[in-house]
Amino acid sequence: MAEEKDLDKIKQAVKRRRKAVYTPVVPEMQLGFIHHNVDCIGCRACEIACKDKNGLAAGPRFRRVMYVEGGKFPEVFAYKVNMSCNHCAEPACLPTCPTGAIFKRKKDGIVDIDSTLCIGCRKCEAACPYGAPQFIPEENVVSKCNMCVDEIDAGRKPYCVMACMMRVLDIGPIDKLWAGEHPTTALAPGEMPVKAVKNLADPELTKPSIAFVPHSKGKLE
Amino acid sequence: MNLNLEALAGRLNPDRREFLKAGAAGAGMLAAGGLVNLAAVKDAKAFAYEPYPRDDELTTVVTSCAHNCGSRHMLVAHKKGDVIVRLSTDDGRYQLGGHFGKDTLEEPQLRACLRGRSYRQRLYSAERLLYPMVRVGKRGEGKFKRVSWDEALDYVARKMIAIKDQYGSTALLDQSYAGASYGVLHKSDQIEGLLGRFLGMFGCRTNSWSVPSYQGTTTSSRWTFGTIEDGNEDDAFAHSKLIIMWGWNPAYTFHGGNTFYYMRKAKQAGCRFVLVDPQYTDSAAAYDAWWIPIKPNTDAAMMAGMAHHIFTSQLQDQAFIDKFCLGMDAGTMPEWTAHSPNGRENFKDYILGTYDGVPKSPEWAADICGVQAEDIKKLARMYATTKPAALKASWAPGRANFGEQYNRMAAALQAMTGNIGKLGGCAEGVGKAWHAEAVAYPYDQYANIWFASIKSDRWAHCVLNYPDVRREEIGLWPRQDKLDGVIPNIKGIFWQGSDWFNQLTNINKEIQAINRMELVVCMDSTITPSGLFADVLFPIATHFERHDVALPWYKGHYYIHRPRVIQPLGESKTDFQVFTELAYRIGHLTGIGDHFGKSYNPKANRDYFHHDDAVDEAYLREWWEHKVMAHQHVTMSWEDFKKHGVYKFKLDKPHVAFREQIEHGKPFQTPSGKIEILSSELAVVEDWTRTRYGSPIPSIPKWIEPVEYLDSPIARKYPFHLISPHPRHRTHSIFNNCAWLRETYEQEVTINASDAEKLGIRTGDTVEIWNDRGGVVVPAYVTERVLPGVLVLHEGAWLDLDKEGWCRAGNPDVLTDDAPSPAGAFAYNNAQVRIRKSDKEHRPGWDKLATSRAHVFRRDY
Repeated sequence: MAEEKDLDKIKQAVKRRRKAVYTPVVPEMQLGFIHHNVDCIGCRACEIACKDKNGLAAGPRFRRVMYVEGGKFPEVFAYKVNMSCNHCAEPACLPTCPTGAIFKRKKDGIVDIDSTLCIGCRKCEAACPYGAPQFIPEENVVSKCNMCVDEIDAGRKPYCVMACMMRVLDIGPIDKLWAGEHPTTALAPGEMPVKAVKNLADPELTKPSIAFVPHSKGKLE
Repeated sequence: MNLNLEALAGRLNPDRREFLKAGAAGAGMLAAGGLVNLAAVKDAKAFAYEPYPRDDELTTVVTSCAHNCGSRHMLVAHKKGDVIVRLSTDDGRYQLGGHFGKDTLEEPQLRACLRGRSYRQRLYSAERLLYPMVRVGKRGEGKFKRVSWDEALDYVARKMIAIKDQYGSTALLDQSYAGASYGVLHKSDQIEGLLGRFLGMFGCRTNSWSVPSYQGTTTSSRWTFGTIEDGNEDDAFAHSKLIIMWGWNPAYTFHGGNTFYYMRKAKQAGCRFVLVDPQYTDSAAAYDAWWIPIKPNTDAAMMAGMAHHIFTSQLQDQAFIDKFCLGMDAGTMPEWTAHSPNGRENFKDYILGTYDGVPKSPEWAADICGVQAEDIKKLARMYATTKPAALKASWAPGRANFGEQYNRMAAALQAMTGNIGKLGGCAEGVGKAWHAEAVAYPYDQYANIWFASIKSDRWAHCVLNYPDVRREEIGLWPRQDKLDGVIPNIKGIFWQGSDWFNQLTNINKEIQAINRMELVVCMDSTITPSGLFADVLFPIATHFERHDVALPWYKGHYYIHRPRVIQPLGESKTDFQVFTELAYRIGHLTGIGDHFGKSYNPKANRDYFHHDDAVDEAYLREWWEHKVMAHQHVTMSWEDFKKHGVYKFKLDKPHVAFREQIEHGKPFQTPSGKIEILSSELAVVEDWTRTRYGSPIPSIPKWIEPVEYLDSPIARKYPFHLISPHPRHRTHSIFNNCAWLRETYEQEVTINASDAEKLGIRTGDTVEIWNDRGGVVVPAYVTERVLPGVLVLHEGAWLDLDKEGWCRAGNPDVLTDDAPSPAGAFAYNNAQVRIRKSDKEHRPGWDKLATSRAHVFRRDY
C-alpha cells in the first residue's frame, strides 16, 4: 500500500535532521519486555496476534520467536528467545534515519517510526543488531513493533503480551523488571531475570530494554 | 499482494458490497494480505502503525474459535460495519465480575492460540467457498461451475432419492466430522451431527463409527472404566508431583483451555516431568522433562516392562487393586472367568510370564522398545513411588492397529499405582472431563439413526470390494434386526465439517473408491482438498456468520456465546439451513409434503432458508434455560449471557474423574462396577465376526506385535518409521492455507542427524519418502531431537498430486495404512517408508498459491 508521499515535507524533515545533533531521549520511565526462555512453549500466538493487530502480510515479522536447540541425541536441549523491538535506551536505528522518522517517546521510551516520513531506505534495518525493523515491500516503508502504543495509551498491554498462553511474555518498567521488583507472571517465584543471553548482540551497543529468564544452556558465562 | 476491491466486492453479498463502497471512499484500497483495511486514512497519518482504527473505536463482539483442535478459546472480534478488522482474545473483561487483566487460577483467561488468532486469514481467504458449485471436470481436477442454490439443492435432493430407491438404505455414507464442531446448535459430528439426523430421517445412512484421532483410547476407556469421561479438568494437573507425558505434546495440541499453563504451575511447585516419545518436543523443553526416546508402536511393551518391575518390586498399591480392580491379579479374578471363552488369564500372571513362559521384564521390553532396561525400571519406580503422579497416556501412540493395547496397559499402570480418582493423579485416556450440555438442536428419536455402521477407515475397502466383503473386514456394527450383517452398498458420500478424504489413511485407495460414487456432497466454508473430489459444493457460513454457543473441548468449564458477528459471505448458508431446505424438497418430491422438513427442524418453517435468526435464537434460548439453567445451577439469564459473551463455572474443587468411585464407593460404569483390567465384555465373546471388532482381542492388556514397526519384516524393505502427529500450525487440515501460520512452520520431514548424514541429507534439501502405498516430496529438517530410524511428518497438508501420483504438498496419509484394527484404532502409525534426496518438486502451497483453490472461481465452464 505505497501511499503518496509529501515530498516537500520530507525535504524539510531532512533539513531539520541535518541540523540536529542527536542526544538520546531519556524517558521518564522506560518500558520493556520480559520473556521466560524455558517456560515458553514456542507457540507463536504472540507473533500471529501481532501480525493481526498490525495488518502484516506474510514476510515482515515484528515479533520473532527464535528456536534454539542443541546437544547430541539423546542429550538434547531446546529453548526459545522471543524478541520484537527492544526499545533501546540508545537505539541504533534512530540516528541512521535520514528523515528523522524514528523517534523515542519521552513518557515511556517506546521507539516508533513515523511512516509518513519513512522513505524506505532501510538504513535502520541494517543498523539494528536485533533485526527489529521490518521492510514492507508493498508500502516501501520500514515498520516495527511500537509496543501497541494505542493499547498502552488506553491503559492496556500490547497484543503479544495479552496473547501469551503460558503468561511468559510481559512488559513493565524495565529497571524494576531487571531488579525483580515488578510483579509479573513471566517470572516464577524466586527467579531473577538477566539482561542478555547467548548469541545476542552485546547489550552495550544499544542498551536494549529487554529482560530474559535464560535456559541453563543460554546463560552467558 | 494487494487485492482488487471490486473483485472482492463482487464476491460479497449485496449489503456488504454497499458497505465496502462506503468504507472504501476513504481508504480506496485493501491492505496487504487481503485483509480489509477500512481505516480513515487521514487519521492514520498521525502514527506509523495505525492504519487500522484503535480497538476502542471499533465494535467489540465476544465469540470463540471453532475448530477441532483440543481446546476452545475466546476470540474477540473488533469490527467496523460488517467487517472484522482484527481479533483479540480473553483479557478478563468479559466474564461476570471481570475486569481487564483478571486472570485467576480459578477462572483463568481463555487465551486463543496461534491458530485461533489467524482466523481472519481463513475467513477472508482466497479459498473461501462463496457459492454453490457443481463439478464439471474429473474428480480431483478442480473444475467447477457456479450454480444457484435452487439448482444445487434440487440436484442433490433428486439424486438422493434415486440412490436410495436403487441401492437401498445403506447407500449414503455419513462422513460428517468435527471440522466445525462444538457449537451446541450447528454441529458436525459422527453421532450428534446435523447430517446424521438428516440422513437417518431420510432413511438412507451408513454411519462411520471409529474416530480417527483416538478410537484406540476410546475403546480402551469404555472397556476399562465404562466411559470416555476419564479426564480431569485442566487445573488438576497443577497438583501433580510427577507428570509423565506419554506421546503427549501439550505445547502443540493444548488439550484443554489452560492445561499447559497449569502444568507450568505444577513445575513451579516442584513437579517433575517425563516425556516418552520418539521426539524431544517443545513440551519436553518447556517443562524440562526427562526424555525417553521410544520406538513407535512399542509403547505397550515398555509399559508391560514397567508393570513387571512394579509387581516384582512389590510397589503396587495392593489395597487399591483389591478394592477397585477386576482381573489385575489372581485375587481379583471373579469365579465366572474360569469358564469363560477368553477370560481365563489375569494381568499380573501374564506380565510375570506364568502363561507363556515369557516374563515381560524390563529386559524383555528393552529389546522391543529400544529403551534401556535401567531406564524402564527407573521410570517404573518413580511412577510407583511418587504420589500423586499423572501418567497422561495420550492418543498418538494408540493410532496403530492394536493401538488400544497401549491405552489399556496405561490404565493398568494407573490403577496398580492407585493414581485413579485422586487429585494430581490421572486416568487419561480420552481425557474428557467436565460434562457440558452439548446439544441445542432437536436430539430426539430421529437422532443418529443408521442402517449400517462401519469402521471409518474401511469405507474404501468396502466400496472397492463390494459385494465380496465380510462383515469383519469393515467392522460392521451388530444390529438386532434383519439388517444385521448386511454389507452396505455405498454409492454416495456426504462431508459436513469434514475433510476426511484428505485425512483418512491410504489416500490412494480412497481415490480409487471415490470414482465409484454417484453422489459426493461437500459442505464447507473452504474449498478443501476433499471438496475437489465432490460433485456438489455447498458454501457454509463460518461460525462468525451464524448464531451458536461454543462448548469447551473435553476440558474446561465454560460456555462462550457466538453471535452472528458478520453477515454470511457470498451466498453462504448454515448446515442447518441446508439440511432443513433439503428435507422440505425431498418431502415434496416424494409426496409427503412438509412433514420431513417440519420434523427435521420443528421450530422452523420453510422460510428458514432465508431467515434463520429467530429460530436459532429460540433453540439456543431453550437450551440455555432448560438445560444449562435447569441442570447446571446457573442463574445468569440468557440475555445476560449474551451480553457478557462468556460464562465461566466456578467448581468448588478441581474436577477429577472417578473421584466419586474412589472416595465414596460409587460403582464404575463397567459391567462389574470395577476398573476392568480384564474386560467382562471381551471375556465372553465366542464369535468375533459377530462383534464390531471382527477379530480376536485379548481380554487383558497385552503386547501384540504390530504389523509395521522398526523390527517388523517390512522394515528390511522400508527401514524408516514415519509418524504423523498433529501439527501446531494447523488443526488437521484446517488453516493450511493461512500464510501467517505457514510462515511459522514448514511442512517438512524431521530426520535424525546421524540418519541424515548417512543419506547425505541436509536441512532444506528436498527429499522423497515412499512405500508401496504412495509417496511424498518435502523438505528435510535435520535434528538431534528425534530417535534415529524415525521420521516425523505432520498430518493435514493439502493433497497435491503430481502426474506420477507423488504428493508434492507432503500429506503423510498417502503413506499410512488402512489395515483393519480390531478395536477400531486408525493405523496412522503404520507407515514404514524409505527416504532419499530428490529432484522432484515440492510445492508448499502457500507462497506460490500452488494449492490455492481460488482457481475454482477463476474459470467459467
